[in-house]
Amino acid sequence: MSWTIDEWFVITLARTIRPRETVFHGFGSPCAQVAMHVARRTHAPDILLVEGAMYAINPDPPFIPPTSNDESLRRGAVYSMRFEEFFDAAIRGDVDRMFLSGGQIDGSGNTNVTAIGPAGKPKVKLGGGGGGCNLSATIGHLTEWTTRHRSGRTLVEACDFITDIGHRTPLGRRADLGFTGGGPQWLVTELGVFDFPDGQARLVQVFPDVSVAEIRAVTGFDLQAAGDLRTVPPPSVSELAAVRSVDPLGVRTSEFSARELTRVFTRGDGQDCAC
Amino acid sequence: MSLQPPRDKRASLADAISLVSDGTMVALGGGLCARLPMAMVRELVRQGRRGLHLIGSAHSIDVDLLVATGAVRRCEESYVGFEQDLGLAPGYRRAAEAGTIEVAESCCATILAQLRAAEMGLPFLPVRGVRGSDIGRLHPEYREITCPFTGETLVAVPALRPDVALLHAPAGDRYGNLHLEQPYVLDERFASASRLVIATVDELVSTEEVVLAGVTIPAHLVAAVAEVPYGAHPSSCYPRYAYDRGHLREYLSGAEAGPGGLEKYLATYVQGNEEDYRDAVGPDRLGVLADWSQSVTGWQEVFR
Repeated sequence: MSWTIDEWFVITLARTIRPRETVFHGFGSPCAQVAMHVARRTHAPDILLVEGAMYAINPDPPFIPPTSNDESLRRGAVYSMRFEEFFDAAIRGDVDRMFLSGGQIDGSGNTNVTAIGPAGKPKVKLGGGGGGCNLSATIGHLTEWTTRHRSGRTLVEACDFITDIGHRTPLGRRADLGFTGGGPQWLVTELGVFDFPDGQARLVQVFPDVSVAEIRAVTGFDLQAAGDLRTVPPPSVSELAAVRSVDPLGVRTSEFSARELTRVFTRGDGQDCAC
Repeated sequence: MSLQPPRDKRASLADAISLVSDGTMVALGGGLCARLPMAMVRELVRQGRRGLHLIGSAHSIDVDLLVATGAVRRCEESYVGFEQDLGLAPGYRRAAEAGTIEVAESCCATILAQLRAAEMGLPFLPVRGVRGSDIGRLHPEYREITCPFTGETLVAVPALRPDVALLHAPAGDRYGNLHLEQPYVLDERFASASRLVIATVDELVSTEEVVLAGVTIPAHLVAAVAEVPYGAHPSSCYPRYAYDRGHLREYLSGAEAGPGGLEKYLATYVQGNEEDYRDAVGPDRLGVLADWSQSVTGWQEVFR
């Protein structure tokens, strides 16, 4: 059996979803989008999946298109929320998990999707945060992700601009700001997985072709690693089958550099299987 | 403006867009690459509108084209771009980096609260987020308030009342009753919060047909309606047509190349009228987009 990093990555994202959660992804988030459908087809069939930008409830799309506002993402859904129905639910605390990414992410899990460089005269104007600056305050838990950790520019000591709120901002901690959501719970990168004990990112799992020294070299904040640091558990046969059937167009790969997509992993017969 | 009494509101695209003045606040319907009011955007470019303050949620070629052609003074959306697929918006990005537009980036939930305040005739509504986010620094008009009941600190955001909302629908009648498919995004909120609503429809149909499909936006909110087939192209307008990824790429490669590339795009697609536009895109291509429902395989091919 063999698989690629993009497959393993979305499976790792999918595993952050717990049974019976109400889960949402924003637009422009193909890895999270695929991950939610993988979770629903494997370990968490009873989630309430809200398809981002369509606000469709538990659709069964025939494929994931490269834009998140498309009719294909509503197929099989009995109901689509209105835009305001979704935002009201999220703000009053009825959405358990959201996936968030960023051009920059700091050790508290604040993200920047607005601009690199000074906000008044940005070096790179990014697209913008969608609903994140309110949703990150009230949604139960955040699963953050990036596929650009290795660039050295993504996990930073401090974001040039805080769009979405992590555990601590210069204005104070979440609780001080009156935020009802729990903030970032996981940060999944193409190199490893972080959790957030005490509100600070901590490396808990690494992909097997990456060393902690390599990760430290490309991480802008002080890298803390768990005492029982592990390898990311390999995908099961059913998880891989789910990825391939959910995403026949391979939209998840659009988040990865060409170099990352050459990472292939195999498991021979006789080895332990996590299936 | 007060509610619109029933009357025949059909207008030409040019006459409808002449209701949009330079320097006004314009709300754009649809979202991402779906149901964008593209025929009206092209007409704004043709008529040389300047100094617009754009309001929207997540947008793409509509905002980018208006910014690239110099029509915009201030951008107030939650996102402008082409997602992971086609990336950043070149015209918007260039103008933001050069400082030739004011970037008042906002948040979907904040804009929603501001529109609701306008709909209710209230001066503001509070939101729970924003504090701690630098988005607040882009909006000196926001104020922190203390809830008189709970003592919580919340952020008051002022009512947002666009001068004009530009909405595209797959079908509507001559009175301005519009049927939309989900997601409506902010179109319903724009319709009741704005002073004036101008609509284009892919097809004018009888009132009975709109009622049967479902009236999403009622005639009493709409001031003018123009029939423009493929009026949302290159964005999608289901159930009529999928989005045109190839056309978006063509626009992006032109816009990324700078003024020369943009000029070529404008000469090919914008400088004529909408009939010329459809001819330039080509009936074969439009036919492929309209045939999305024929098979799942064919539908997938549209996205390659």
